Amino acid sequence: MPAETWNFQAYRGSQPPTFANQAEVACARVLDYYGIPWEYEPRTFVLEEEHGRIVEAFTPDFYLPEQDLYVEITVMKQSLVTRKNRKLRKLRERYPDVNVKLFYKRDISRLAERYRLDLAS
Amino acid sequence: MRQLGDELTREYEGRTPLLVAPLKASLVFVTDLSRALAVAHELDFLELAAYDAAGPGIRLLKDLDAEIEGRHVLIVEDVVDTGLSLNYLCKTLRLRGPESLAVVTLLDRPYRRLVENLPIVHVGFTVPDELFVGYGFDLDERYRNLPDLHVLK
Repeated sequence: MPAETWNFQAYRGSQPPTFANQAEVACARVLDYYGIPWEYEPRTFVLEEEHGRIVEAFTPDFYLPEQDLYVEITVMKQSLVTRKNRKLRKLRERYPDVNVKLFYKRDISRLAERYRLDLAS
Repeated sequence: MRQLGDELTREYEGRTPLLVAPLKASLVFVTDLSRALAVAHELDFLELAAYDAAGPGIRLLKDLDAEIEGRHVLIVEDVVDTGLSLNYLCKTLRLRGPESLAVVTLLDRPYRRLVENLPIVHVGFTVPDELFVGYGFDLDERYRNLPDLHVLK
């Protein structure tokens, strides 16, 4: 998906965000609408290393600096999120001071209903 | 409702809180809560613009009639989930210098919270990830009038 050209007001990153899917775009617009400062994929967390080589890492989609909260959006079906859940568990173990919240497809659907978002890809 | 009313009555004893209800879903809740509150209080209403991706950002469609500087303000919410609109509301009202600002919500979905530092002091029910209608909650403006809460299947 090309870099989003929407004129975001609350975006705090230096480069235009390149979203992975429409759900991320919609979430960015909701955050922007409510004036919540946000960054897109500002940090990659190393989860596992072997001989100094990174073999597993995790980059949450959003960071909300005022909340000190990372947010990961997944549009995979609930049955397919096991791997992501495992990564999240590892992240929490390795970085216990990092606040991260995972929004599942059903959460996004609920938000879409509430905010009448167009999530068509 | 009686339990919430009793708790808030104790909390606001000797004071005259202003109950602020964002329209429209909290209308039924605030009227019931008002009748369950045994301290003198006042009611006021405001309305936030519904989310519009192409719009200029969140704003008040209807502002309070009352001045709130020096008042004890209790926001009466229907539901808090992400906390985004409540966060805006709290920030906006705090700028007006209330003596205190607190929130009571009928329903809460804390697992969906994006904004954590909200002054929520009382929660009616923590609810699962379901859509509710009735008791003021609507689906495209329908079902608000149902006397009880219903889970929409």
